[in-house]
Amino acid sequence: MDTLVARYSRPKYQQNEVFSEQEQQDLADAVPSLSLKFIMPPVAHPSAWLRAATDDRSNPSCPIKIAHGTTTLAFRFQHGIIVATDSRATAGNWIASQTVKKVIEINSDLLGTMAGGAADCQYWLAWLGMQCRLHELRHKRRISVAAASKILANLVYQYKGMGLSMGTMCAGVTKEEGPALYYIDSDGTRLAGNLFCVGSGQTFAYGVLDAEYRYDLSTDEALELGSRSILAATHRDAYSGGFINLYHVRESGWEKHGFTDTNPVFWKTKLEKGEFSNVTSDLAE
Amino acid sequence: MAPHSNGTSPHWSLKSGVHQQGCPELQVLLGITGKDFTLIAASKAAMRGATILKAADDKTRQLNKNTLMAFSGEAGDTVQFAEYIQANAQLYSMRNETDLSPSALANFVRGELASSLRSRKPYNVNLLLGGVDPITDKPSLYWLDYLASLAPVPYAAHGYAQYYCLSILDKHHQPDITLERGMELLNLCADELKRRLPIDFKGLVVKAVTKDGTVEMPFDNDRIVKSA
Amino acid sequence: MASGYDRALSVFSPDGHVFQVEYAGEAVKRGTCAVGVKGKDVVVLGCEKRSAMKLQDTRITPSKIGLIDTHVCLAFAGLNADARILVDKARLEAQSHRLNLEDPVTIEYITKYVAGVQQRYTQSGGVRPFGISTLIVGFDKGSELPRLYQTEPSGIYSAWKANAIGRSSKTVREFLERNYKEDMDREATVRLAIKSLLEVVQTGAKNIEIAIMAPGQAVEMLPVEDIESYVKNIEQEKQEEAAKKKTGRTPGTGSAAILTRPAQDEPGDQ
Repeated sequence: MDTLVARYSRPKYQQNEVFSEQEQQDLADAVPSLSLKFIMPPVAHPSAWLRAATDDRSNPSCPIKIAHGTTTLAFRFQHGIIVATDSRATAGNWIASQTVKKVIEINSDLLGTMAGGAADCQYWLAWLGMQCRLHELRHKRRISVAAASKILANLVYQYKGMGLSMGTMCAGVTKEEGPALYYIDSDGTRLAGNLFCVGSGQTFAYGVLDAEYRYDLSTDEALELGSRSILAATHRDAYSGGFINLYHVRESGWEKHGFTDTNPVFWKTKLEKGEFSNVTSDLAE
Repeated sequence: MAPHSNGTSPHWSLKSGVHQQGCPELQVLLGITGKDFTLIAASKAAMRGATILKAADDKTRQLNKNTLMAFSGEAGDTVQFAEYIQANAQLYSMRNETDLSPSALANFVRGELASSLRSRKPYNVNLLLGGVDPITDKPSLYWLDYLASLAPVPYAAHGYAQYYCLSILDKHHQPDITLERGMELLNLCADELKRRLPIDFKGLVVKAVTKDGTVEMPFDNDRIVKSA
Repeated sequence: MASGYDRALSVFSPDGHVFQVEYAGEAVKRGTCAVGVKGKDVVVLGCEKRSAMKLQDTRITPSKIGLIDTHVCLAFAGLNADARILVDKARLEAQSHRLNLEDPVTIEYITKYVAGVQQRYTQSGGVRPFGISTLIVGFDKGSELPRLYQTEPSGIYSAWKANAIGRSSKTVREFLERNYKEDMDREATVRLAIKSLLEVVQTGAKNIEIAIMAPGQAVEMLPVEDIESYVKNIEQEKQEEAAKKKTGRTPGTGSAAILTRPAQDEPGDQ
């Protein structure tokens, strides 16, 4: 009798071998959890500590200055999507760089833009690229822009209130969706739309872009309008400047249309078209 | 177990008390019941700071054939919560080969909001849930707020719209009105909001739930409203 | 025979067998038969239904064909109770997929998922493999192409034009192999599904269930009267054929399969 009992009973530590609810859920997720575990600073409230250490507005002498200030834009039109950005990174009043790549090539068909914390954007968009590639390998087909943007939106939503600072756009063209554009920001908003401008210079870009935007723009017109809108923002927003980074996204993938210094473009626009008439080119009067 | 998006398990967080995005009180949600229908209307503007990011936003989700939910509140929370509820309503329908009634769903949503309220990171979402009971064909409307209050009501509103529209509806609403009359009342409300709300909410998306399902109603958002 | 290796769950025997998985295969073989047939623009699932007992309420007895999502249908052979769990997991995944990817699942994806779950239960401690094989059919979003997949207790999955699982599945599969034609219309597809089931179902229409899926449409469970008329029609045709071949011997088709099973063969499913 005892031997029978011994055979069918297990040592205590093995008795609960059946999956717990959570384990079952973990196992059921063919895709591993999207979040990654980070080491937290050794303080009681990491997110409050981070806010105190980085909030430049309430404490101008805060120890960590996060690179902010940007103008980025993207819009849908009949031949795809135009994506344009400036290239300035600022930390407080200091211009940290004039040659930042704010368009992130997630893969050969998907672009992301970065506004807000440079590190946050760079890291999570690179991570998004990894997720997209994994999706491609698992499903044997390209990820939709809707799904890619939602991966990012769900991720930043998990970190809501913990100090992430990003305003980004995902642009891509797929056979199923056509040209697709999504706006995602760090408080979890995700919107599909035709036209978005993000960053401290967004209002200036909107002004120029909204006035002349049409869906049936030709490719050349669209490229010109995108770059002119960035120029407008670099002219008026102190935290935007440097170069105009211009992309055109089509079903065959994205094409780069230059990384152009704003200075000559500004003078060309002013002198040849007579715009920016408030700026005088000669010192007299 | 329920389907969970990666956002729905709240971890650590300290809410920044300040709403960075457009004030949630300025988002318009309206609901009216009638003889055999429930009308739900939501403003189309998606705001953030001083910018309207989108002028054709749809702040409603269909939970099943005869139940519709409109939401307003904190950016991110709204859509995450609504889609979580939607997925669970649909899962219920697949599992049981029958839809939950509007009242069952309203009580389910209230329960979810109540447990979220007591978690580390509550959903800051206000809701209107409208539908027509698939068995009795009775229309119903439920008003829920982020504190998990639930009230069945004949007509309802959220945000600043409450201050303008409830008095209008108090005067003009009748329980047995037709769909046409319902739309008239909605126009009355929309006109007043356009007249007095300090910002442009970009018009309303209007959806009607009847026993045959949910349809988007044509709604003239371009009418010019003269101030008194 | 296998000294203890068939007791320890999911452990290899010295010659490379995982007995529990093989036993699960036996449970499948004892389950009622299910067939799936792809036509030109429809896909049909057919099931053998155990005859109900006198006092059983047939209206609310669960079916062997279940919906995973509006566009995906699953039939199984084997242990009913196991299937319920698997179907529920698949439904959850289908809704999760919609929530996170904003797209309904593809048939291949959900098949892979179901097979994945089955595989996991062959390699974890303290669990028993699912005693079921499944046929998963449907249409991907925006596609007119019918899909038919099979999964097994081991976690193997495969794609088919037509296939059968469960009791006498070999007979039925061979029948399908002989009679399958490319690009069948709806009528022909349903007919082939029923005809193949009649190879092993002796009691006719009232013991057959048929589900039809077409692109962009809800699943259609064929009413008993319709199945009956198909069965009548098929039997009539068989008789005519038999009459034609009068000079020869009686056709061998099906006769072997009509042999009744011994009662103790019935596993615990209903």
